[in-house]
Amino acid sequence: MALDRQLEILAVCGVGMGTSLMLKMTAEDALRSLGVDARVENTDVSSARGMSPDVVIGQGMHTSEIADLAPVVITISDFLDKEGLEAQLREHLTAQGWLS
Amino acid sequence: MTSHAGGATPQTPRQRPLVTATDKVSAGDWREAVRKAASALVDAGAAGAGYPDACVRVVEENGPYIVLTKGLALVHARPEEGGLAVGVGVTRLAAPVEFGHPDNDPVDLLLAFCTPDPDAHVGTLAALARALSGGLADRLRAASGEDDLTRTLKEAVPND
Repeated sequence: MALDRQLEILAVCGVGMGTSLMLKMTAEDALRSLGVDARVENTDVSSARGMSPDVVIGQGMHTSEIADLAPVVITISDFLDKEGLEAQLREHLTAQGWLS
Repeated sequence: MTSHAGGATPQTPRQRPLVTATDKVSAGDWREAVRKAASALVDAGAAGAGYPDACVRVVEENGPYIVLTKGLALVHARPEEGGLAVGVGVTRLAAPVEFGHPDNDPVDLLLAFCTPDPDAHVGTLAALARALSGGLADRLRAASGEDDLTRTLKEAVPND
């Protein structure tokens, strides 16, 4: 890994405890498949504004509000689509040099 | 309601979630669908009377993001809006409704949950997420009726 620390990933939704928790689980599965060492947290959009993660994942209606929060912002619409999220993570993390 | 008075370890308030199921529910729009899905948790004693309206407000204020995959909405609000116990309910609609989600409409299946604090539900919801990844939504859609819905949902959220 080009990154010498754990990747910080934030799953966001409106309330920050239901849907984003589902997304966190999907993200953890996808990251495991990619072999990426990462810590995934979930929260609501308002709380997310005070954080500085490496990657933000959420639905478009939320990621559009926090598009500048992280170097990588990933928008997905199906929170259970592990393969789709894995493909997006692979593309973005590779582009950042965090995944080789 | 479950009654395990004194049976659980005091330090671990983890308990079997209350599970409910309602079938062939008619709803004219997403608000009615959400309200009815959440009302099942109120009827089961898992949530207070204000919970259904709070669940509607979550969507009004934050958008239809609770439609987390094709045809399925995860109905919920914050614990302080009336969560009394960890509860999970499935509601199958007689006819699907539109939430205004860009990709995942129309919705025919609602999973409602409530929790008394921000942590008590994590194990239950994690189990639910794993089950959904393993095809739970289709098993719920194929269930023969309310009893079968309850049984299928209970299998997905075991008492861990």
